[in-house]
Amino acid sequence: MSMDSPAANAAFAKQINIKFPLLSDMNRKMLTAYGILKAYDVQGDNYKWALRANIVVDKDGIIRHIEGGDSAVDPNTAVSVCTDLHKKQTAK
Amino acid sequence: MKPLLSACLLFALSPAIAPISAEPQSKDEVAKMTLKVGDKAPDFVLLSDQWKTVKLSDYQGKKNVFLAVYVLAFTGG
Repeated sequence: MSMDSPAANAAFAKQINIKFPLLSDMNRKMLTAYGILKAYDVQGDNYKWALRANIVVDKDGIIRHIEGGDSAVDPNTAVSVCTDLHKKQTAK
Repeated sequence: MKPLLSACLLFALSPAIAPISAEPQSKDEVAKMTLKVGDKAPDFVLLSDQWKTVKLSDYQGKKNVFLAVYVLAFTGG
């Protein structure tokens, strides 16, 4: 998920050969609602870009993991949350 | 003609080059991350790279969802 257009995401998906959907939030509605939009000053001009973030939402629509910033570049914590969640759900 | 064409190309490229030459200075966040574990995830509808609409609530009761937000396509971040 990013602020890129669907066309840019399609090219990116092809380049890195991924099979899950890449979502476009060009009007930044989702990013604003989730509080993961960040302002950058580039030569005096303000730009707003997405913050790197990982979010895990369970089957009930509840957030089970949320992290933003540099630590979110590593997806392992979020992946382990997903794995634990799946284990708990299948054990029921 | 050639020098003119080069000048046009340079002009066309310069706005794209300018932000790269400067290291972006991170300012205060526009919106703070107020959502926390246990909160209801705000619903959204977004377009996928296949131009299909994807709604978060469509997965409710069916699947867990991993949302990975990246800064820009074609970047490592």
